[in-house]
Amino acid sequence: MAAYFARRLLLMIPTFLGVTVIVFAITRFVPGGPIEQIIVRMQMGGGRGESAGGAGVETSVAIPEAVKEELKKHFHFDKPIWRAYLLWLGDLLSLNLGKSYTYGLPVLELIAERFPVSIYFGLIGYLLAYLVCIPLGIAKAIKHGSAFDFASSALVFIGYSIPGWALGAVLLVLFGGGSFWNVFPLGGFRSASWEQLNLFEKVIDQLHHTILPVFCYALGGFATLTILTKNSLMENLGQDYIRTAFAKGLSERRVIFVHALRNSLIPICTGLGHAIGLIMAGSYLIEKVFNIDGIGYLGFTSINERDFTVVMGILVFNTLLILLGNILSDVLYVLTDPRIRFQ
Amino acid sequence: MAETAHPSTASAAPPLRRAPKPLSLLRRRWRKFRALKRGWYSFLILTGAYALSFFLPVLVNSRALIVKCDGRYYFPAVGKFHEAKAFGQRLVGEADYRKLKRQFEEEGRGNWVILPPYPYHPHESLLTDPELPGNPPHPPSRRHWMGTDDRGRDVFARLLYGFQISITFGIAVVGLSYLIGMAIGACLGYFGGRIDLYGQRLVEIWSNLPFLYIIMIIGSLMKPDMSILIAILAIFSWISISFYMRGEFYREKSKDYAAAAISQGESNLSVMFRHLLPNGLTPVISFAPFSLVGAISSLVALDFLGFGLRPPTPSWGELVNQGLQNIFKWHLVVFPLGAMFATLLLVVFIGEAIREAFDPKSHSRLR
Repeated sequence: MAAYFARRLLLMIPTFLGVTVIVFAITRFVPGGPIEQIIVRMQMGGGRGESAGGAGVETSVAIPEAVKEELKKHFHFDKPIWRAYLLWLGDLLSLNLGKSYTYGLPVLELIAERFPVSIYFGLIGYLLAYLVCIPLGIAKAIKHGSAFDFASSALVFIGYSIPGWALGAVLLVLFGGGSFWNVFPLGGFRSASWEQLNLFEKVIDQLHHTILPVFCYALGGFATLTILTKNSLMENLGQDYIRTAFAKGLSERRVIFVHALRNSLIPICTGLGHAIGLIMAGSYLIEKVFNIDGIGYLGFTSINERDFTVVMGILVFNTLLILLGNILSDVLYVLTDPRIRFQ
Repeated sequence: MAETAHPSTASAAPPLRRAPKPLSLLRRRWRKFRALKRGWYSFLILTGAYALSFFLPVLVNSRALIVKCDGRYYFPAVGKFHEAKAFGQRLVGEADYRKLKRQFEEEGRGNWVILPPYPYHPHESLLTDPELPGNPPHPPSRRHWMGTDDRGRDVFARLLYGFQISITFGIAVVGLSYLIGMAIGACLGYFGGRIDLYGQRLVEIWSNLPFLYIIMIIGSLMKPDMSILIAILAIFSWISISFYMRGEFYREKSKDYAAAAISQGESNLSVMFRHLLPNGLTPVISFAPFSLVGAISSLVALDFLGFGLRPPTPSWGELVNQGLQNIFKWHLVVFPLGAMFATLLLVVFIGEAIREAFDPKSHSRLR
């Protein structure tokens, strides 16, 4: 077993290399990369200074060739792509993800700063989803075919048909104090006056900013999780060992909740590993809708700014989380299902 | 023979009709699908709406259907472009048919204009329209049922044209990605061995690529047109179906009929397409609607983020983005997302019915 997981960990390496090579190549080959961005910025800065000086004419400042060369060297654009990639990889191994030129901060610091925000919303959202979906799925399986099953199925269909971020947008318009009710703030992680609040106000403020985004996060997995729970329990209820349990004279309650439920939670438990990558990566759609300054939003803005050092940094971070999450799923599989023996 | 098997019933009744030929599997499934009312009506509504959307140029358009001017008839909505001068309007460029209608009515010279039922074009900016005072976006009104967007374009018209684009886009993405996924999955499952081993590794790398991320990077550098966007999205969404196809081919190949076909000397391609593929189609058909949901919501999300179709293509996501920038313009958020929700819900209902018809899992329960 240990050998199996050691091999799985080693197999992460080629996958990781493959993913980073592809994205690295894309960021290198596409036009309008960081150097052009910086040059444009320098030119705009120069132009603005001139118009302020009274010239009033938009002139583009010529950037000296030496500066361009310097920039190319800094971003390793003067080397062939494979060398640039190896240099990037070498930096990565020494835990140096480079520096963002838009924020002027090390990428690692940027990620570390936003990570808690993303994980806060993601974790609460998923916990909420699990807390609602598992009991709902169980109830649906037990009352299969009833009016309750039918009505809650409608809810599941609706949940599947509306993406979390879309619901977020509608909720913001309804409750964000635009044309309708002013109940919740327009997004953000906390109020601007956070530092001045006392403890009680802080709790209220945080809750106030949490409710809508978390609701949207929870919606993301709502439909699939509920149906998974239901189908898994239904499948188990049709098995022979359930017949045996009933034949022994056990109560229905005991058969369902002790015998069947334990087995039917296995697929849900193993899904937890896959969810971890998603929780931590943050959803840039929801973060953008609610203006939450998390990892997802950072990735979105750095793509817009062509800040590819940050883009690559987030990519490394997300890929590792997802790959580790996959392995964690297998570990959970072994822990929850003693029949599984990975070779 | 049914008659000989039951002689007693045969003699009791006048010559029994021959037992109907057993329906093919597909026909039976189609009947089952039609019997599931919710899915069947959703299917009728959605295909009807999609078919109707091809007539949008004569239903929702700023160009008139028919113009009668000085004894001659013109058909601008389906015909060619007419300059304003042709109808005696003092305008540069295309004629303004709504104005022309009023003008003709005032003149009362027997000239007339028949406008489409909803006489606004999705690309048409109404900033100069005298009937719309104030700055856009305008709230919904009797003339503009869902208001206008930030460039003064009619939201309802954009919504309807956006529906057609979304569905076309979704179907194209699903079709292309299934083609890729089925081909790759079929090869991996059929040939197995080393091809499967290395192929799986490559698929794993591919599946770990953050696909929206890459689309965003590509989209931030060039505004892709529809066919490129379809190709990019398809290239990144074939993975799940390839897993299913691989499994199906792997299982079907070990069955006797496959062995028989192979030992008869049929080529690999013939075995794969004529024998195995028809038996491995069930997951493809039953997953397709749910992939369609994913493709349509991806398009809306990309448009929302600003990495989608080129402007001025009517798009739902772009409207939502405008609406969130100005929180008081609720109609720019609620209507497009409502349209998306309704469309996706119909597709989900269809998908649920198809799954039920194709893959009936009857759960037997005690008590």
